[in-house]
Amino acid sequence: MKFSTSSRHLSQIQAGWINDKMPDNSTLSEEFSTLPISIPPLPSYPVHATHYVYLRRNAPKIATPNDSRSLYLANVPADSTEAHFRALFANLVGAGRFESITFEQDKKDNKISHEPAQAERLAKHHKKRKREDEELQHRKEEAAAELPDTWTRILHRSGSSAVALLADEKSVNVVLKAVKKLQKSKKYPIWGEGVKGGVPGFGAQWLKAHNKLSYPGNDAVQAIVDAYFTVFNRKEEEAQQLAKRLRNEPDEDGFVMVTRGGRSAPARRDEAEEAKQRMLDKQQKKKDETQDFYRFQLRERRKAEQMELLKKFDEDRRKVQAMKEKRGKFRPEA
Amino acid sequence: MESNSPKRRKLDHAHGGPIFENVASSSMGASGSSAFVLETDELLKEVKLDYAKAFPGLDQTLRQLKEAIDGLEQYGPIPINKASAEWEKTSRTAIPFPDPKPAKDCPYKVSFEKPTHINVVGSYTLQTMAKSQSSFAVDMIVVMPATLFSEKDYRDYRYFYKRAFFLAYIADALRKKLSDLDFIYTKFNGNALLPVLVARPQNQSSKPQNAGSDKARDTLNYEIRIIPNAPEGYFPTAKLSATSGAIRRNVSEESKDSKTPTPFYNNTLKSESQFVSYLKLLHRTSSTCASFRDACILGRIWLQQRGFGGDVADGGFGHFQWAVLMALLLQTGGRKGEPILSPSLHASQLFKATLQYLASSNLHKKAVVLGPNIATSETVRQAGPVLYDSSREINILYNMTTWSAFMLNEQAKLSLLAINDPQVDQFDSLFITKVDQPLQMFDLFVNINVPSNSPQTTSGISDGRCSTVAFAEDIYRTLKKALGERAKLISIRMPKRTTWKVTSSSSKSRTEVISVSIMCDPVKASQGREFGPLYEQKKDAAKFRDFWGDIAELWQFPSGEIVESVNWTEFSSLGYFGICQAIIRYILMSRLKLAEGDLEFHGQEFSNIISLSPTDKTSFDTVKTAFSVFEKDIRELEDLPLSVRQIAPISSETRYASLRSPAPNQRRHGTTPIDAMLSFEASGKWPENIASIQRAKIALLLQIGRSLEEAKSGIRTYLGLEDAERETENLTFLDIIYESGFAFRLRVHSEQEETLLDRQTKDQTLDRHVRTEAAALLSAARWRSTILPLHYQMISTYCTRFPALSSSIRLTKHWFNAHRLGNHFNEPLIELFVLQAFLRPHPFPMPSSTSTGFLRALLLLASYDWREDPMVVDPSDSLSTAQRLDISTRLEAWRKIDANMNRTTLFVATPFDVTGVAYTQNIPRVIATRMTTLARSATKATKDKGAELDPRMLFQSGLRDYDVVIHLSSKAIKGVLRDDGTKHSHFKNLDETGSSEALPLPESPVPAFLRRLQSVYATPLLFFHGGPEDTVIAALWNPQLHIRGFSANMPSSFKPMSADADKYELNKEAVLAEIARIGGDLIEKIDVKDN
Repeated sequence: MKFSTSSRHLSQIQAGWINDKMPDNSTLSEEFSTLPISIPPLPSYPVHATHYVYLRRNAPKIATPNDSRSLYLANVPADSTEAHFRALFANLVGAGRFESITFEQDKKDNKISHEPAQAERLAKHHKKRKREDEELQHRKEEAAAELPDTWTRILHRSGSSAVALLADEKSVNVVLKAVKKLQKSKKYPIWGEGVKGGVPGFGAQWLKAHNKLSYPGNDAVQAIVDAYFTVFNRKEEEAQQLAKRLRNEPDEDGFVMVTRGGRSAPARRDEAEEAKQRMLDKQQKKKDETQDFYRFQLRERRKAEQMELLKKFDEDRRKVQAMKEKRGKFRPEA
Repeated sequence: MESNSPKRRKLDHAHGGPIFENVASSSMGASGSSAFVLETDELLKEVKLDYAKAFPGLDQTLRQLKEAIDGLEQYGPIPINKASAEWEKTSRTAIPFPDPKPAKDCPYKVSFEKPTHINVVGSYTLQTMAKSQSSFAVDMIVVMPATLFSEKDYRDYRYFYKRAFFLAYIADALRKKLSDLDFIYTKFNGNALLPVLVARPQNQSSKPQNAGSDKARDTLNYEIRIIPNAPEGYFPTAKLSATSGAIRRNVSEESKDSKTPTPFYNNTLKSESQFVSYLKLLHRTSSTCASFRDACILGRIWLQQRGFGGDVADGGFGHFQWAVLMALLLQTGGRKGEPILSPSLHASQLFKATLQYLASSNLHKKAVVLGPNIATSETVRQAGPVLYDSSREINILYNMTTWSAFMLNEQAKLSLLAINDPQVDQFDSLFITKVDQPLQMFDLFVNINVPSNSPQTTSGISDGRCSTVAFAEDIYRTLKKALGERAKLISIRMPKRTTWKVTSSSSKSRTEVISVSIMCDPVKASQGREFGPLYEQKKDAAKFRDFWGDIAELWQFPSGEIVESVNWTEFSSLGYFGICQAIIRYILMSRLKLAEGDLEFHGQEFSNIISLSPTDKTSFDTVKTAFSVFEKDIRELEDLPLSVRQIAPISSETRYASLRSPAPNQRRHGTTPIDAMLSFEASGKWPENIASIQRAKIALLLQIGRSLEEAKSGIRTYLGLEDAERETENLTFLDIIYESGFAFRLRVHSEQEETLLDRQTKDQTLDRHVRTEAAALLSAARWRSTILPLHYQMISTYCTRFPALSSSIRLTKHWFNAHRLGNHFNEPLIELFVLQAFLRPHPFPMPSSTSTGFLRALLLLASYDWREDPMVVDPSDSLSTAQRLDISTRLEAWRKIDANMNRTTLFVATPFDVTGVAYTQNIPRVIATRMTTLARSATKATKDKGAELDPRMLFQSGLRDYDVVIHLSSKAIKGVLRDDGTKHSHFKNLDETGSSEALPLPESPVPAFLRRLQSVYATPLLFFHGGPEDTVIAALWNPQLHIRGFSANMPSSFKPMSADADKYELNKEAVLAEIARIGGDLIEKIDVKDN
């Protein structure tokens, strides 16, 4: 069959394209400086392209201590790595200014809770004090429970952002100044130039490595899972003990919290749902039994049926009318 | 009495009312479906003609013709030989004598006398024409006076010779008088005995209808057929019964008693004298039965959509036959002669009842007599279909062919099936869809060259029937007998009737091609050996031997019975298609003395496209067996902490539906393993946290792997990590590789996970994005754990029930891939499409081959209006009406909240997924539209080209229209899959696990790469790719990403515009450069369409 996506066709379907969610914090472009990066051509795509990164001082809604010495970068290239930006900043303002970079999707990750359900519930009511050394130990244990990455190099969504942490506040100013200067000199930094420290390559070896990394070995995974459940079980135990303690301990207002594990334990949620369903069933059954019993019930039912029939007729008529409007529906195919 | 009681009256009044009664009587009817009635009313309105507007000046032309003929003077009588020798020359008008031409020494005389009367008959006067007709003919009969003929003129073509001269005389006169009309001869309904004169206005536009302006659409091209015929009731019907012979010329040497019956000749003669009486019958009926005309129009459209027509080439059952049948059924037809139809019925009911009659009367099997019973049924018996109108003593189907009677019966049955199926829109399949599409209906096509030396047929030429028709009847009878139950339906298409100029004698026949279309029964047709009667039944056995000739042989069953048989097993490897082809070739060559070169076979080409083979089923069965072994192995494990409830296969290989037939140990070539879903009995042991459940699954998988390796030898297990982005997704799978066979990929399903997710989606206290995320995870989990296992059951059940389903699914998948839509449509969805084409085949029969199944699936997609209608795939009709309504309502709701169809496009529901969106996630509207466009153009090509279609054409797709085309290097792709054993020293973790070991199951690199690209460039680019073998990834830029002002959160890479620094546009070069970097050596080159 001939391929036929004419331009007209495209314009018709334009509206159907998934539009990206609108940006939540649109800002004036004046606040941002434009950092053009020259992209060297490749044999497969021999075009000199220029990528534009937009940067400004980092000013998140919820302030953090490092804000003053970090830069917010919008539209970082999809294949960015820390090494790339280290090289880029070294190129711009010399070595030693750049400390680290956090990409958009790195931040998302750590939100998911691994806490046992009971621990989570209790945490709402009871802030646990933690000792620092204990904390450190726990973090180590949790790190051991992480699954390995399956890709040697992570890609970033096109047009995503990052926050670069620089050495000090002065560095931020230096960088912004250097970027401003670029507008005049037009000597754009080259992407990937001077990248040190063996950034894993893309292409076939990247995919090949992925195929290998997807199978970390049964024993290795076993160790990770074991580590994970050591932590998990410990947390669960702690939660249980806490619950036990809380059971008889009134809070500052004098209330005692009801927790699971008492003598008469509250029902589990699914049990409660089941019981409710049973009750509804019973009610329905009772209702069914008393139907069509009296003459007036029968009469009313018949009436309802006829109304239903009339309604259906009306519906059909409307349907046919709608079809008629579309026209051509009633023309036999040639 | 009771109805008169006051109470009752009051009740009636309360709910009855005039509206309701009106509705009930006019449209509710017996069928109870008012929509159908309303739709037919609309159809009738649409196709009805405004005769004055459509045929301007027709009445005047007719009057002119009548006056011209009336004004002619008597001519003759002159001897026949003189007429053909002299009159023809002087008037330069040919006399259309039927074959055989009159002998030179014929003693008869021909003449012209003033006709007794001239009348306009047929659907023009009856006003039963429909706009959708391909041609319009106005019939004008010219009744010849009885004085022209003598008593014995019914014999030996004498009547026809005289009629031919009469016609030629009129033609000659009219031609010279009326110069604004074109005159040509044609055969009336393809009947060689009855030439007629056709007059066409010269100023008619030659353009096809419906193409021009409004005015051109209103006026229609028409022709006037001038039909001379005999005075009413002129011929002695007693001497013209089906068994009497009226042609003696050929049998003069033999005794007079043994004359061969000439039913066709006799019936033609009788019909010549009954034109007027049928005209009267139809007029009388249309005045007594109000909706008769409308029902006639409905019948006409129904016949027309199925390719039936009055012409013998169209089968010989046209509008006239339909109208007469209905008129007769309004008078009689019941067991005791009572009328079958009532004149008070609505047009649609009349139509349905007539259809019912056609379906149940089995015209192809037994003779049907309508009217007062005649003494001997012998007088009506003849070879073809018989519908005997006993009051006029005519078989009104005398011009009909046997196969078309069979077809008519089948079509009527199919239409009734559609009517009685409450779930389908009966209307479209009855009147709108064009059913006359050989490729959609038949599996095997044979084109037969009719030998030019007119073939000696068994039925003899003496009947007056056209020799091609007679030969086609022979072919039909031979094939029917030879193929037996292998063929469900055989249809023959003959060349259309010819017209020829009035100035030259009858057109010389070229080599004519008869095309035979056969619908096979795949199960019966693949039987390798044909079994005949028992050896002991001498008479039958002799017949069998006679029919099959030398290849008949004896066969002994293990039980000791000896039967006659024919062996076709040598063709078994070619499937049923090969067997049928061999049978047809042999029998036509041996019985009808056709040469090898006269036969041309079509239909197999579709299976060759993806090299389907009859042995594929075995390899699919092997997978199933391997899976049951695997299932048993898992169930036998004793040390699992939870008890196994179900292990369901969810890969397409296990349900006979994968594009390539599976073969064991192909894993070196990047074959995906067979996916399976393991679910356990409900347990409270699962942790109450989704992320922890995922980890618990890993522990379970590891334990299963360990236990399996311990319990069985020859099994290796590898735990693999999914491409998960969040900790709450399914994280791992276990690959279980049997050394001697297949590899399986096992995932664990946890009910607890679903419960938790469900709770999250409903929890109003949570953040919105948490809830949508949970909903997405939940639908993914349900898809794998609930829907796919049920889908597996459904598809594999129906693949065994419908033999052609499996291959049709595979071909359809190939079609999606060929057009690079494969990455947007998941395999189960395509399977549902094809299954639906099998379940709701109306108005066609169930597809019986790969080609019909595939084309029907395309037809379904072409007509599938996904904007407004849900597709409900419900094989066992388990959904209630309420549920169906619910599904429609749900679609309406989706369209209301998402009118642009950004999130939901296709809506496909099954009994186990009434939400309708489980199968169709992430299909952009562009893609859905494209699917429809492609399917439409494919079905159009199928319809236009017919059996000549080259199927490869449907699978061709160009690259011109894409904005970006990424060519991948097949060498690099192969390199990814090949394990070269090199150590990637900078990956520390790889060295520890030992990379010397071969990769367990390497994933095909192209889909993995595409998935990455899709996650990065989902907004700016729409990718097109078909299957792991496709080395091209094509893409379109998102036209929605137009120029915009600055924002910190761009949907993609944007650059400042050179003209206006405050505006930003998509940085296409940078995006493509990124892709080039990511692809590295995998990408050979990136082509960009320049605007």
